[in-house]
Amino acid sequence: MEINLKDLTIKKAHKLLIEHEIKVKDLVDAYLLEVGKKNKELNAYLEIYNNLTEQIEKAQSLIDEGRATELTGIPMAIKDNILYKGHIASASSKILENYVATYDSFVIEKLKDEGVIFLGRTNMDEFAMGSSTETSAFGVTKNPHDTSRVPGGSSGGSASALASDMALIALGTETCGSVRQPASFCGLVGLKPSYGAVSRSGIIAMGSSLDQVGPMAKTVEDVEIIFKVISKYDPKDSTSIPEEKRDLEKKPLKKKIGIPREFLEGGGIDKAVLDNFEETCQKLKSLDYELVDISLPILKYSLAVYYIIMPAEVSSNLARYDGIRYGFSAEADNLFDVYARSRALGFGKEARRRILLGTYVLSHGYYDAYYNTALRVRKMIKDEIEKVFSMIDVFITPTVPFLPFKLGEKMGDPVSMYLCDIFSAPANLANIPAITIPSGWTKEGLPFGVQITAPFLREDILFTIGKDIESLQ
Amino acid sequence: MDIIEIKKLANLSRIDIKDDEVEAMARDFDSILAYVDQIKEVSSNFEEKNKTEDNYNQLFLYNVVRLDEAKNQKNSQTGDILKNAPQTEDGFIKVKQIL
Repeated sequence: MEINLKDLTIKKAHKLLIEHEIKVKDLVDAYLLEVGKKNKELNAYLEIYNNLTEQIEKAQSLIDEGRATELTGIPMAIKDNILYKGHIASASSKILENYVATYDSFVIEKLKDEGVIFLGRTNMDEFAMGSSTETSAFGVTKNPHDTSRVPGGSSGGSASALASDMALIALGTETCGSVRQPASFCGLVGLKPSYGAVSRSGIIAMGSSLDQVGPMAKTVEDVEIIFKVISKYDPKDSTSIPEEKRDLEKKPLKKKIGIPREFLEGGGIDKAVLDNFEETCQKLKSLDYELVDISLPILKYSLAVYYIIMPAEVSSNLARYDGIRYGFSAEADNLFDVYARSRALGFGKEARRRILLGTYVLSHGYYDAYYNTALRVRKMIKDEIEKVFSMIDVFITPTVPFLPFKLGEKMGDPVSMYLCDIFSAPANLANIPAITIPSGWTKEGLPFGVQITAPFLREDILFTIGKDIESLQ
Repeated sequence: MDIIEIKKLANLSRIDIKDDEVEAMARDFDSILAYVDQIKEVSSNFEEKNKTEDNYNQLFLYNVVRLDEAKNQKNSQTGDILKNAPQTEDGFIKVKQIL
């Protein structure tokens, strides 16, 4: 039986599997065929896992025994910074090139229980530091919609794999837009959950007060299915939210969406992106949503705050790569030189830059001016956003201010690359959830995306309104 | 940002950085710091708004701690972990002599 991968969703695949129209192996083989055809050009996967037969057998027996859930047998791509026991997880860095995970991350554990098929690990910006998947130590990944353009980043491999039908669903991670931005650049749905909703246990850390794992898929419903499985309390993550604190009182929707006008005006948005955004907002009115301008002048400082807090956390988190316990180790005469040489040769340019920047903002004499000030402004951003949610359900912005750019276009200018994340930063800084939804295509076939942001732990609102936005297409 | 300062940061970060990269990094730092400096415009508002409120203390992050208990069986993971170490000896990770 020919499987139509383009239109396949979790529910459609599940139906085919439990009605025995197809076997798990047929589904996996259909995706592997695409991998064989496309991965060489796109470089989305760094590795296809060597235990697929075993995984397929386990999933098939769950189905045959009538114990399947919606995710059983569904092929998924995994970002290279998510630990899967017995397999390499390199964060696309030379320093972890041969690092084999000694335990399963929480998300892998949960998805394994469902019988998900982990197809392989996907390319990313080194240590998730980038917005184009060009800082990987293992080559750039290309956008399947135009291979002269970037897929976004840092979860660009996962996005590229999904958009080219090399997987049905994928996991990415975010510190600031790394799920949403590549999802938008590849015409997909991508979710950044509330901080603490999904455990960070077994995720290679970048900015620990900002990091979250996020699902990516072609539809909001698929993202919702994955989210529900991975969004559980985990005692191994001290910031994981206990189950009893997750059940918030769910008031009915106001059907009111806020547009933070000043923020948009300062965002340097391309005309085509702005036009698509306004058009989407207009269409939402036809679904009885009221769109109101809101004032959140503080948001324009988000990215600046992020570029202080994130490097500070990076410099601390990446201190563990010392060439001693695991990872790349350079030969040297003394211990200091083992550290300094291993780190010089093992880390790429962007990682080195961020470590030094973090060391600077945390150093004596600058700590108060940068790090402490950034913490204060972060708190102000959080408070102001919280206030505005008393009037609206969500606020809406474009996901990225511009369309997917050419490979190499922004690599020489870090600040222009950082500006990709301008609309992403508020959700990560304020610990709240946000989702990107495809909102149309250019004449040349490049995707547009819009982003909605909801109050803490209100992913349910994102799914409801997200499905409405999806229905406009 | 001057070159001496970058070299000092590289030393603190335990990263050998070549001279040509030091110069490029100094330039990148100037543009990044010029961008992030804008937060200083608003932080004074924070002081006014928050100095009397309790939530001022909330920003100062706190550590979440637990008892340091060994929950895994002895040696159950030692082999896997040692496999990732560049140099080992007799079930230990080997380091350069420091004294």
